[in-house]
Amino acid sequence: MSHGKDHSPEELERILRGALNRRQFLGRTAMAAGGLALSSSFLSACTGKEAAKAGADSTAAAAAGGGAKEVRISNWPLYIDKATVADFEKATGIKATYTEDINDNNEFFAKISEPLKRGQSIDRDIIVLTDWMAGRMIQLGYCAPLDDSKFPNKVNLLDNVKDVSFDPGRKFSVPWLSGMTGVGYNPKRTGRELTSINDIFDPKFKGKVTFLTEMRDSLGLVMLGMGKDPTTCTLDDAKAAAAKIKKARESGHIRKFTGNDYAADLAAGNIAVAIAWSGDIQGLAADNPDLRWIAPKEGAMLFSDNMMIPKTSDRQDLGLAWMNYVYDPAHSAQIVAAAPYLSDVKGAGEELAKIAPDLAKSELVNPPAELRARLHVFRGLDEKEDQEFNRIFQDAIGA
Amino acid sequence: MAGTAAGSVRHNPIAPYLLVAPGVLWLLFFFVVPILTLGKTAIAVQNGPWWDGFARAFTAYGAHFFRSLKYALSATLFSIALGYPLAYFMAIRAGRFKNLLLGLVILPFFTTFLVRTFAWKTILNDSGPAVWLLTQLHVLPEGGRLLDTWMAVIGGLTYNFLPFMIMPIYVSLEKIDRRLMEAAQDLYSSPLRAFLKVVLPLSLPGVFAGSLLTFIPATGDFINAELLGSPNQQMLGTVIQNQFLQVRDYPLAASLSFVLMAVITIVVLAYARVLGTEDLA
Repeated sequence: MSHGKDHSPEELERILRGALNRRQFLGRTAMAAGGLALSSSFLSACTGKEAAKAGADSTAAAAAGGGAKEVRISNWPLYIDKATVADFEKATGIKATYTEDINDNNEFFAKISEPLKRGQSIDRDIIVLTDWMAGRMIQLGYCAPLDDSKFPNKVNLLDNVKDVSFDPGRKFSVPWLSGMTGVGYNPKRTGRELTSINDIFDPKFKGKVTFLTEMRDSLGLVMLGMGKDPTTCTLDDAKAAAAKIKKARESGHIRKFTGNDYAADLAAGNIAVAIAWSGDIQGLAADNPDLRWIAPKEGAMLFSDNMMIPKTSDRQDLGLAWMNYVYDPAHSAQIVAAAPYLSDVKGAGEELAKIAPDLAKSELVNPPAELRARLHVFRGLDEKEDQEFNRIFQDAIGA
Repeated sequence: MAGTAAGSVRHNPIAPYLLVAPGVLWLLFFFVVPILTLGKTAIAVQNGPWWDGFARAFTAYGAHFFRSLKYALSATLFSIALGYPLAYFMAIRAGRFKNLLLGLVILPFFTTFLVRTFAWKTILNDSGPAVWLLTQLHVLPEGGRLLDTWMAVIGGLTYNFLPFMIMPIYVSLEKIDRRLMEAAQDLYSSPLRAFLKVVLPLSLPGVFAGSLLTFIPATGDFINAELLGSPNQQMLGTVIQNQFLQVRDYPLAASLSFVLMAVITIVVLAYARVLGTEDLA
C-alpha cells in the first residue's frame, strides 16, 4: 500500500468483502453469459460450417472455370410452385438454390446495398424486387445488363411491360410476376361482403385489420379511398392519407403492419380484413375457401416484381438461363398455377387454361378490361421525395 | 525474500500491462471503435445542425423510451417473482433433482430465440387455447385478445429472459452456508424470519446480477414487441431497426442508440447505488 493511512480491521474487512463480492458477482455474470455464448456459438458453428462449405463450393466453381454450375436465386415467399426448380435443374443441368428471403423491399435493399456499393458479391445471381426498388437498383448501377443472345425467350415479354419508366427497353430487368394490391377478407369474420376501400375503416372491425408495411400499397389504397390518384399524388395527399392511417393505428383499429405474414393471421382468424396481395389469398383459398380478395370499386394498386442480376454476380450466364427457362409460356403457367398472380409472358394464359382451366378464368390471373382500368401504379419518386414520403409513412405506422 | 520479490517486479515493469493488454485490445476493437463509428454516424446529419438526430430522438421518441423502460422493468419484476422461488427450490430443496432442473432451465436455449417467440404467436392467437380459457374464466372480455397487446409483449420478454434471472440467483443461493440458516433457527428465528434475515440478504447479489442480465437486454429488445405487439407497443429497438433498415435515417438511428445506452447506464448506476454489492454479504 503506498498511502500511509492504516485501515482499521473493520474497514479492511469491508474492503475485502466488497472485493470478494464484486468478483463473485462478475463470476456469476460471466457464468450466465457463458451459457448464452455457448448456445450462440453452437449455432454460429453450424452456420459457419455451412458458410465454409458454400465458400469451398464457390472456390471450386471458380477453379473449374464455372464448371460447378449453381445458380442462386432470392425471391419472395409463396411465389413459386414446388416443381419448377427441380424441372429447371433437369432441363438445363444447372443446380439451383432457391431462397425465399425477400419479405420487404427496403429491408432486403439494406442488406445488399453495402456489399454492392463496394463491388462485393452478395452470393446471389437472381434477385426479385418491386418496380420502384428495381428502379433504384438500376439507377445506382447495381444491376448487370441482360445479354439478350443468352435469353432468347425474352421475346415473350408482354408488350405492355416492355417499356417501363424505370428501365426503358428492359435492359436490366424482366418481371417475375405482376400483382394487384386490394382488400382481402374473411366473410365469416366481417359478416358481410366488402366493396370499398373505406370498408377497412368500419369501426366494427376494430383490432381485426392489418395494413402492409409496403408504403406504396398502403398509402396508395388509402388515397384511392379519399378520391386521390396515386399515379399523380402530391406530398399533401400523402400527408392526408398518412394522417388517416395514424389515427386508425393509434385508436387500435389497425392491429398490425405486415409483409407477407398477414396471410397466416387471416387464415388463423386473428384478423378479418387486410390490405392484401391478390395471389396470396388465392394461394390460401385451398385450405380456407372462405377467404376473399377484391379490387375495391375505388381502384387497386398494380405492381411488378422484377428479376435482376446483381452486377457482382460471377455467374451471370446461369442467371440468364434461369430467366430464359421461366420465360417459356408453359413454365410460366406452371408457376402461376401455384402462385396465382399475373404472368407477363406471352402465351402463358393459354398454357394455364390447359393445366388449370378454372384458375385461368379467375380475374386474379386474367383481369378483365374493366378491372384493368381501375389499376393504378404509384408514381415514381426521386430519392429526396422517397425519403420524405417514407418518413411520413413510418411515423404513421408508429415505427 | 521481500527484496527479491520487489526486485522481480522492478525487472518486469510492463508485465501488468501485458496481462491486461488482451482485455484492453478487445474493448478497444469491439467497444471503443464501434462506439466512435456510431458517434460519427449520429452527427453526420445531411441538412441541419449536427445535433439534429439527438434533438429528434428526444422530441419524437419520448414515448418509446418510456415504454421500453416500463416493459423491461415489468419483465424484470415478473422474472424475479417467477425465478426466485424456482431458484430457491433448486438450490435448497431439489436434492438429487437439482441437475435435472438446471438442465430444464437451460433446455429452451437449444431452440432459437426467434422460433420460441413465434411459438407464442400460436399459443396466444385469438382462437387459441389461452384466449379461450381466459374468456371462459371471464378474465378476458368476450372478443378480447392477448396477441398484439402489451400483455403478450411483457409476457414474451419475461419468458425469454427468465433463465438469465434464475441462474445468478441459483448460484448465490447455492453458495450460502446451510449452517447460517441452522444457526438462525437455533436462535429461535422462525423459518420465515430466517429467510428474510439470512437467506434473502445473502442472495441479493444474485438478484442484482439477474436484474441486470434481464433488464439491459430487455430494454433494447425488438423481437418481442415486433412479433407479439401491435404498432402501439413498439419499443425503441424496433424504432432503431426501422430507422436503419426502412427509412435509412442513419443519424437518427445512431442517436437513438446512443441515448438508449445513456439511459440504461443511468438506470443501472442508480440501481447499483440502491442495491449495490458493496455492503451486502
